[in-house]
Amino acid sequence: MISRLHSTSIILGLAPIVLVLALWQGLVSFGFAPAVLLPPPGYVFGRLLQQLLTWTFQQDIAATLLRLFAGFAIAVVLGVSVGIAAAANPAINAVVRPIVRVLAPLPKVALYPALLLLLGFGHGSKITLVAADALFPILLSTYYGASTVEQKLIWSAMAAGTPRYEILFKVVLPAAMPSILTGCRIGLVISCIVVFLAEMITSTDGLGHSLVTAARTFQAVDMFVPLITISLLGLILNGLLGAVRAYLLRGFPEA
Amino acid sequence: MWQVASLALKNDSFPTAIEAIRAIPDILGDRESLINILASLRRMAIGFGIAVLISIPLGLLMGRSRAVAAFFNPLLMIIYPVPKAALMPIIMLWLGVGDVTKTLVIFLGVSLPVIYHSFEGAKAVEEKMLWSGAAMGLSPAQRLVRIVLPAALPEILTGCRTGLVLALITMITSEMIARQSGAGNILFNALDMGQYDTVFAMIIIVGAMGICLDAIFERIRARLVRWSEPQFDMPLSFS
Amino acid sequence: MKVVPSRSSEWVRPVRPQKPASAIIEIERVSQVFQTSTRKDHVALSDISLTIDEGAFVSILGPSGCGKSTLLYVVGGFVSPTSGSAKIKGRTITGPGPDRGPVFQEFALFPWKTVLGNVMYGPRQQGVRATEAEAQSRALIEMVGLKGYEGFYPKELSGGMKQRVALARTLAYHPEVLLMDEPFGALDAHTRTRLQNDLLNIWERDRKTVLFVTHSVDEAVFLSDKVVMMSTSPGRIRDIIDIDLPRPRRRNELLLDPRYQKYVVEIERMFDESDLIGSSS
Repeated sequence: MISRLHSTSIILGLAPIVLVLALWQGLVSFGFAPAVLLPPPGYVFGRLLQQLLTWTFQQDIAATLLRLFAGFAIAVVLGVSVGIAAAANPAINAVVRPIVRVLAPLPKVALYPALLLLLGFGHGSKITLVAADALFPILLSTYYGASTVEQKLIWSAMAAGTPRYEILFKVVLPAAMPSILTGCRIGLVISCIVVFLAEMITSTDGLGHSLVTAARTFQAVDMFVPLITISLLGLILNGLLGAVRAYLLRGFPEA
Repeated sequence: MWQVASLALKNDSFPTAIEAIRAIPDILGDRESLINILASLRRMAIGFGIAVLISIPLGLLMGRSRAVAAFFNPLLMIIYPVPKAALMPIIMLWLGVGDVTKTLVIFLGVSLPVIYHSFEGAKAVEEKMLWSGAAMGLSPAQRLVRIVLPAALPEILTGCRTGLVLALITMITSEMIARQSGAGNILFNALDMGQYDTVFAMIIIVGAMGICLDAIFERIRARLVRWSEPQFDMPLSFS
Repeated sequence: MKVVPSRSSEWVRPVRPQKPASAIIEIERVSQVFQTSTRKDHVALSDISLTIDEGAFVSILGPSGCGKSTLLYVVGGFVSPTSGSAKIKGRTITGPGPDRGPVFQEFALFPWKTVLGNVMYGPRQQGVRATEAEAQSRALIEMVGLKGYEGFYPKELSGGMKQRVALARTLAYHPEVLLMDEPFGALDAHTRTRLQNDLLNIWERDRKTVLFVTHSVDEAVFLSDKVVMMSTSPGRIRDIIDIDLPRPRRRNELLLDPRYQKYVVEIERMFDESDLIGSSS
């Protein structure tokens, strides 16, 4: 029964994707859209496979992934530590809160020119932008998770003889884990988006750059390829994070 | 802090805070720049408005119907990690560089978080509350509007707040790619031409826009959901 | 509010100060005031003094909002009183410690640890070697009747089973006093009865001191040597009643015992009286 429900929902979910592809194919086949502007899906996916085997495209992917992971990792480390510190310590909270209030709604892309001037056109400025953008959702959900930890969990651990500083690692961090991972998930999607944008703005390599190159030469097919690639990367990374989440949260209800 | 840093760096590509602030009135005083910025804001408002009008009902329906959710979820999952502003070049191919393209991109950027949060909000609505509504004779459609919508409102507004910041970001990026008009255009043209005081002045202006919009929205939100539990009060946003 | 003279019958008699010789916990003039968002502060506890003897099973009984849980938290060292002090074995309580083990109504199990992991947490924290802690914990898990569930996560257990794990987790670090905060309050009537019986069986083996907060009169009478009755706003001790019933207690015998019935009826009547006076003042 459950497996049947599951398979119906898979079919249901595939339907709109198939529909989009069919519409896409239809638009081209029946001549509503010239193939120059909208290449047929078969052609695009063929091109994607072909590109995936080329060295330059692989290097583009590698460059994008490097920036993405570096920025995301910085955001996770900073976001989780600052978020927990702010939840645990009123003095740190008093310092962090106003800074976050101002910086979180700030469109970070607008800072990119400043980062370029400061850090140059290489990896540094892009990684910083990714980290700056992914930081806040992770920081905020960590803070939220850490400040809503059930008081009695902490009391139970304290009664068992856990010193105060260890409570942070032994109770607060694991108890806030569901919320932290939700933040990481949002942060990861943002990292995908931002790294691509940064590469579109200025870059000599990466997926964003290959889109811009294609756009300059009006190669519609080559514009679709990096977009589909980043979407696939996002899906794969999201799946990996989901697996990590399922493992880390195996004890939690509704994980 | 900034002032001290820039003096210490003695870097001519890094203007002092005073220089940057002095450049602000020049930009806002210039008729053309002002029109540019206002045009940006108008596109943003339209894109945001349409996105909210479509996304909230869709999200609510997804939250209350398993079938609708199963239908749309995978498609949305695929679209989610795609940078919406990156669609600009392709949409430009089809629709030109005009307002329609930019507004469409903003619409796409805002939609996803609003759909997602409406979905989550509607999903979390207490089943018993709907049963009470049904017992009082409300039709399914009435229940959606009169129970699910208000009950999910806090969550929906969180999504709208994220969407608002996203709209601003997408606006800047799309203008930066199209390079025809708007705030993003001024910002990146100045960067290309080495007018660094303008660059930093624009960053301040855009930043202030973000913070102001967020503050205004927060006011409205606080009004609308006065009844709900005090919410987590640090703003959540991303691009 | 007037002080209600208690109309105790000859064997339901209020007992005032205890022999200090065997006292393990001494609560001296403890008051607890919470600042609320409204202008009026909430007085949860007002000038409470109470002595608890070593090895006694003492229940704190009262309506909701009488501060009985707060009193327990003061003894646990989780909240510090606004004035007055609580002592364990003559030392003033300044914070939580493994000599006082709490069992909460909400279970408060670590969701990221298995049953075994939860029970082992305390001994490991005390520096007991892993193999030894595991052996002890397995024995405890068996004692609370959960053999075979060692590898389960709390989410996979029913409420009653969770509370058994919570009890085992606390017993595992050998506290001298058990602090039970309405431990069976979230359970259904059937599970509740079974756990009461099991708790009595476990307790009658080693007679640890137990401070047990409840709002159920029969639960208090069934389990305790002594029932501390509290009245509400501000939280005060209204009466202390010795429950002079034989041990080991068996539920089926006790329910038919007229002395048991008399205790229950008498205590309920005393609460009704104070309620009437409370509402008219």
